[in-house]
Amino acid sequence: MNTDKSTTIHSLSQVTWRSHLRSVGAVAWKNWLHFLRYPLSALFSVVQPIMGLTPLYFLGQSFKTPTGNTGFAAYTGTTDYLSFILLGALLSSYVGWVFWGIAFALKMDMESGVLESNWLTPVSRLALLTGQTLANLLTTTLVNVGILAIGWLFFGFRVNGNVLAALAVAVPMLLALYGFGFGFAALVLLVRDPNILVDVSDYLFSLFSGNMFPVRALPVYLLPIALALPLTYGLDAIRSILLGTTTLLPLAVEIAILLVAMVVLLPLGYAIFWWVERRCKQAGTIGLH
Amino acid sequence: MGSDLIIQRSLRSELRVLWVMAHKEWLIFRRYPAWVMGYIIWPLIFPLGAIFTARALSGPDARALPAFAALAGTDNYVGFIVIGLTVYAWINITLWEVGFHLRNEQMRGTLESNWLCPTWRFSLLLGPSLTKLATSLCFLSLAIAEYHLFFGVPMLAGNPTLFLLVLLLVIPSIYGIGIAFGSLVIRFQEAHTMVFLVRGIFMVFTGASYPLAVLPDWMQTVATWLPLTYAIQSIRAISLQGAGLSEIAADLRMLAFFALFMPVLGYLLFRFTERQARRTGTLGHY
Repeated sequence: MNTDKSTTIHSLSQVTWRSHLRSVGAVAWKNWLHFLRYPLSALFSVVQPIMGLTPLYFLGQSFKTPTGNTGFAAYTGTTDYLSFILLGALLSSYVGWVFWGIAFALKMDMESGVLESNWLTPVSRLALLTGQTLANLLTTTLVNVGILAIGWLFFGFRVNGNVLAALAVAVPMLLALYGFGFGFAALVLLVRDPNILVDVSDYLFSLFSGNMFPVRALPVYLLPIALALPLTYGLDAIRSILLGTTTLLPLAVEIAILLVAMVVLLPLGYAIFWWVERRCKQAGTIGLH
Repeated sequence: MGSDLIIQRSLRSELRVLWVMAHKEWLIFRRYPAWVMGYIIWPLIFPLGAIFTARALSGPDARALPAFAALAGTDNYVGFIVIGLTVYAWINITLWEVGFHLRNEQMRGTLESNWLCPTWRFSLLLGPSLTKLATSLCFLSLAIAEYHLFFGVPMLAGNPTLFLLVLLLVIPSIYGIGIAFGSLVIRFQEAHTMVFLVRGIFMVFTGASYPLAVLPDWMQTVATWLPLTYAIQSIRAISLQGAGLSEIAADLRMLAFFALFMPVLGYLLFRFTERQARRTGTLGHY
């Protein structure tokens, strides 16, 4: 009797770079279809940030002197308050993308009961997570284009600076945020009801990075929180390039901070996610919520 | 042979339904301690955005503050913003909680079966609303205490009786809006979008964080049709300027009018939705 049988088990699935890319595309496409299925929500995602900016605009009007927003100019070097908050809203929408589009979306899959079955497929978690965020990134960017168009048409939003340079600064900022999002997604997996955690974190992160106001106006005891967030330097640098506002630190230093944040946060975020995922698998809590 | 109903409906049975629904809602609330944390944290952090923006707009040497004071009638922008945003937060909570109640039942699949019970259907919404009212009042009390402690804004500093009178008069309006909204939500279904739209309207038109005088005329006209405008205006007058009954009498009259009108509007919309749902058979759809 021949007992010399091969013990090698071959997986039926052929995991390649192409299969990973197909998975990313499939998850992104599913999310995009979901976005299109609610047209009123899709339309309102453009209107909502404008509605959110309106009270800030009128607050600005109530402090306006005959020579413009001079109090604001003393902090920023510009009286163009509207462009300042519009840019802040656009950039902080990517913070919302990190908190709601990456972290909370994972929790939604958990609640829908599809996370466990998705994770059983021979696809890397990174591919699933990247696909999850791509459609959100696209919709966030489309919404921002809509907001810019409305700002340009109705509110006189204009930029004088180098748009390409601003985009180049935005890339490391977004990648750093992306890394942070991975780590935060891991945290969300450990919490049973993450709504408050996500909502409060999103709000505080945007607030202290100065999406609505120059962080110099913060009380001295709160300023260190703002200075500890890489996003603060991203917002500050981009506003400086586009609107000519005065920066917290020299522009080159702010860009260097963003690059360091990108290099550190991307692997760190993924490492935290990987560690928590292993813990969840061992404890068998992926399907619990 | 008569077809007598086994169930005896009476005032007592309706009150029992109210109690049971309110109690069920309370049990759900207690099951999620994170919600209680939200009630403690949000009043503290929610006004910070507007307060720091106002601080930045006034300038390092407060050079632009006189411009604000001329429009607002006070240079205490922290108190001005905190009061406006507290009342706004109240309507926001009501929209999410009361407004979403029927929708949540619809999504859980319990709305249709509950509505088949031999009871007044409005009780099924009114009962949970009572619990939401109680929890909202706890939120409001916490907010008032936190603002006094951390922001130095004594909201009860003026005439506390008048302050309570304004609160009592605005309660029926807020819950009337909540019930009207909840009814529309199960009719039109895109609930989150509707909350963002309606709360956005209140935020923009009621002058929650800025003086109404900066609004264009047409927006000021819209503001006069919103009960919250009068509530915010009168509480600011009582707490920040020490206003008495005669100074806010006009606001109180408007609040009394809305206190009668909004619950009736809420009930009529609820009845309309109920009839529509029976006719089209779409109560279980979402």
